[in-house]
Amino acid sequence: MARILNRLEPYVALSPVLALLAIFLYLPLVFDVIYSVHDWSSLSPTWRYVGLGNFRLLWNDPIFWHGLRGNFLYAAVSLLCQVAGALVLAAILESGVVGRRLSGFFRVAFFIPSILPITVIGLLWQILYQPDGGLIDQVLQAVGLGGFAHAWLGEEATALPSIVAVSQWQWTGYLTVLFIVGIRAIPSEIYEAAAIDGAGALRSFWHVTVPGVQETTILMALITIFGAMKVFDIVWVMTAGGPNNASHVMGSYMYQLAFRDDRVGYAGAVAMAMFVLSAIAGGLQIWHARRSHS
Amino acid sequence: MNTRLRQAPRSRAAATLLLGVLALGTLYPLFWLFLNSFKLNDELFEQSWKFPEAWQWGNYPKAWQYGLGHFMANSVLVTTVSVVVIVLLSALAAYVLTTQRFRGRGVLHAVILGGLIVPPEVSLFPLFKIMKTLGVLDTYFAMILPDVAYGLPFTVLLLRAYMMVIPLEMAEAARIDGAGLLRCFWSVYLPLCRPALAAAALVQGMRVWNEFVFALTFVGRDALRPLTVGLTTFGDSLQTDWPVLLAGLVISTLPVLATFLAMQRQFMGGLTAGALK
Amino acid sequence: MALGYSQQTEEGICNVKRRQFAAGALALAGTALAGGARPGRAEEKVVLSFLHKWPEPDNVVFFNNAIEAYTKAHPNVTINAEAVADEPYKAKIRVVMASGDVPDIYFTWVGEFTRQFIRGGRVLDLSPYLAKPEWQGRFSQATLNAYRTDGKFYGIPLNLDAKFFMYNKTLFEKAGISAPPATWPQFEAVCDKLKAAKIQPISFGSQLAWATSHYVGDFNAKLVPIAVRESDYLLKTPADKLFTDPGYVQALEYYTSMLTKGWFNKTPNAFTHAVARAAFHAGRSSMLYDELVSFGRAAGTKLEKDGWDFFPMPAIPGGRGDQALLTGAPDGFVVSPKCKHPEVALDFLNFLTTRAQGAEYTRITKRTSAVIGAVTSANASPQVLRGIDVINAAKGMVIWLDTDMESRVGSAYLAGAQALMGGTETPAQVMAKVRAAALQAQKERS
Repeated sequence: MARILNRLEPYVALSPVLALLAIFLYLPLVFDVIYSVHDWSSLSPTWRYVGLGNFRLLWNDPIFWHGLRGNFLYAAVSLLCQVAGALVLAAILESGVVGRRLSGFFRVAFFIPSILPITVIGLLWQILYQPDGGLIDQVLQAVGLGGFAHAWLGEEATALPSIVAVSQWQWTGYLTVLFIVGIRAIPSEIYEAAAIDGAGALRSFWHVTVPGVQETTILMALITIFGAMKVFDIVWVMTAGGPNNASHVMGSYMYQLAFRDDRVGYAGAVAMAMFVLSAIAGGLQIWHARRSHS
Repeated sequence: MNTRLRQAPRSRAAATLLLGVLALGTLYPLFWLFLNSFKLNDELFEQSWKFPEAWQWGNYPKAWQYGLGHFMANSVLVTTVSVVVIVLLSALAAYVLTTQRFRGRGVLHAVILGGLIVPPEVSLFPLFKIMKTLGVLDTYFAMILPDVAYGLPFTVLLLRAYMMVIPLEMAEAARIDGAGLLRCFWSVYLPLCRPALAAAALVQGMRVWNEFVFALTFVGRDALRPLTVGLTTFGDSLQTDWPVLLAGLVISTLPVLATFLAMQRQFMGGLTAGALK
Repeated sequence: MALGYSQQTEEGICNVKRRQFAAGALALAGTALAGGARPGRAEEKVVLSFLHKWPEPDNVVFFNNAIEAYTKAHPNVTINAEAVADEPYKAKIRVVMASGDVPDIYFTWVGEFTRQFIRGGRVLDLSPYLAKPEWQGRFSQATLNAYRTDGKFYGIPLNLDAKFFMYNKTLFEKAGISAPPATWPQFEAVCDKLKAAKIQPISFGSQLAWATSHYVGDFNAKLVPIAVRESDYLLKTPADKLFTDPGYVQALEYYTSMLTKGWFNKTPNAFTHAVARAAFHAGRSSMLYDELVSFGRAAGTKLEKDGWDFFPMPAIPGGRGDQALLTGAPDGFVVSPKCKHPEVALDFLNFLTTRAQGAEYTRITKRTSAVIGAVTSANASPQVLRGIDVINAAKGMVIWLDTDMESRVGSAYLAGAQALMGGTETPAQVMAKVRAAALQAQKERS
């Protein structure tokens, strides 16, 4: 009897987490699947079964594909800045090249944007990005690069890249702190051994730090990719997908479909696409990590 | 740590300069926010980069008068409860996943991992129905329950990554001593993980504090609303007194900033040995 | 007009006290009547849910006062009000509706937004109630018509709104302009003079796309025959003719020309309407196309010192639409058919829109009450008073473009209007996309 109880223990211990996930994450997902094969608006009670019609529509929808491209851009830049960049930043801060106190200050400074509410960030950067009076263009003009000045959020070509840049500003310091935690876990003897072997700063970064934080890197990369796939709020507060749908990502397009265009079924299809694509990206990432690990 | 690498003065200067410029770029917008919360509406748009012509100290009491204190109390309540529940449940789950071998562990791990990719936006429709069925609409639970649920996947993974480096023997030794699963968790693992728990609490606290959509959708009574929703009563895109709004935003950010500054030393200090491995 | 307004002010000054007193007495009488008419109801407990989109502090004061006054006179009634700001309201109302929990009294935008609720059976036909004596003479017919569909009335208006060009008198004088333009050629001349005087003619911010809809909707009304436009907006035109009238492309051409001729500031897509308004209020441009409900925000700005006035969108000679229409709409409330006590809900709405409450509304919120006679020189600026005169004199109203048509067609229009400001698409290309969206919507509806 006691043994059976013992065996059940892990399940009992996990049950609150699983129950909460089941009710508040996975059950709504099941509803999304049902939505995605129907045509309905939240404002009227009529439902119409359309089978895979929404998915066919999605396949031929240029805004969706454009949005997907936006997600890929988001993921690529974020991996570069928030994972690779943050790792380098963390290594510099931890290398002792700047004093202890100063490095503590930088750490806090880089982290602070991540604690701000999204409304603050959206408002702030809308004004920073303004042509003429905005800070970005003023700085460009001051350093003689006035030719690069843009109406950043107002031009179709620059709107999404400008938003992506804000996300890097917001999150790079956050990941830097998490990487610092990882770097500190590397026994300092390994660094000392490398130094005795005559390894310079670059080599010891490459041969000691990078392998030493591999687990952290995998987790961070995974979170960054998932985040890039479902990104929504920063786009919505900055441009709401405009101008002319140019800065839509899948998340903002889904929101517009569900809460502006009253096509909840179609929005459900977009949600499905987001989920499946994230799952594939995550699966590939884990598979790749496992393979290179062994 | 200075012994690790001997740095030439020139590279030290270069690194300091680089980090300094980055820090300036990071902090300047916040300085701007602070500065502009003391301006008049016209000044904000017309002379966004200058110091205020006359410091409008009145913006702060004005912002506070909109009931910020009351909204803030709700935010503190919801955030505190959510964070405690998230961290406790996640730690327990992470502990079980790391130390116990049982059938279906891989699947359950994947189920938790999968929670990371569920986008909450379209789920608002079914979530509203679920809340209604549970009878928690218009209560604090309507915010706490989804806030907790959406925080669990990341926290479990974060804590699991940390617990992986705690030698398994510790758990086994404790169990041989006759301690049950829960007691071993409570008296052996939980204290060992304190720095990681602090990090997880901080990260989740930030997220819950800034949460908006759930609070907006599932709670209707002003008496229960948190700060994020309360701030929208300053007006929408059509009707707004921006500097007062900025003052409100500064006020609403201060508690998180203070908590972060107070806690970061503690958990950064505590995490020196064996963190996220 | 100017003469009429000064007379009105003088009369206003001597009549303020008397009017306020009269209003108060009226309110008292109203409450007494409403209370006295239903003596038997006192025991029955009635709870009404009430969802609207005005959480701003001044509005909260008005609604709280009104609810308190009403429930004091009717102790058996409890009103649970919930207010969510304009943007979030769009999400909130949808989630609430999807759950089937229709509030007893709620706000809807006029036009297609309300028509969706009508089709779904989620609003009560108020025609029989509005025929009763206590509602007579309260709203102008044009205001009521905004909530009319197929001959039935569905909504109780709260406020009135319309779009006007506000202009800076000092800057106009500086450019040598003596009178506001009434026709498009005059408007062109005004803008040319301003440009020659190195003054930015119009501030425009289209970063949030709804701001484009007011221009486009107005040009459509002036350039497309009224019957064609209404049938297109309702998707009732046969598929081969849907949104094919040449007036639509022409309307977008007029709109685009305002940018290419340098009347708008550069890159409107990079500014929100709030930023454009701030520039105008600070005297950096001479005109802004803004709403009547925003007139009050000029108080205390440089614009107020410079002096300002307004004029409606100039008529386009030869335009095939109607030149005497104004763009605008009332905001108001509808009642759920599931409401258990519709007569109480209507009684409350009746109380909310008495002349006394309407005056309170305008006094506290600075918005223009839809109730006839509620806006007076005692509670509103001369410009607002004249704005109301213009609305009342208008032949009819054109509802905001984005709430007047099926939302995906509206979305295509808004995105296209941004593309025109970015110079990335031509009017013909935009109309092709609008037509494609309309065809798809029409197909799905049938």
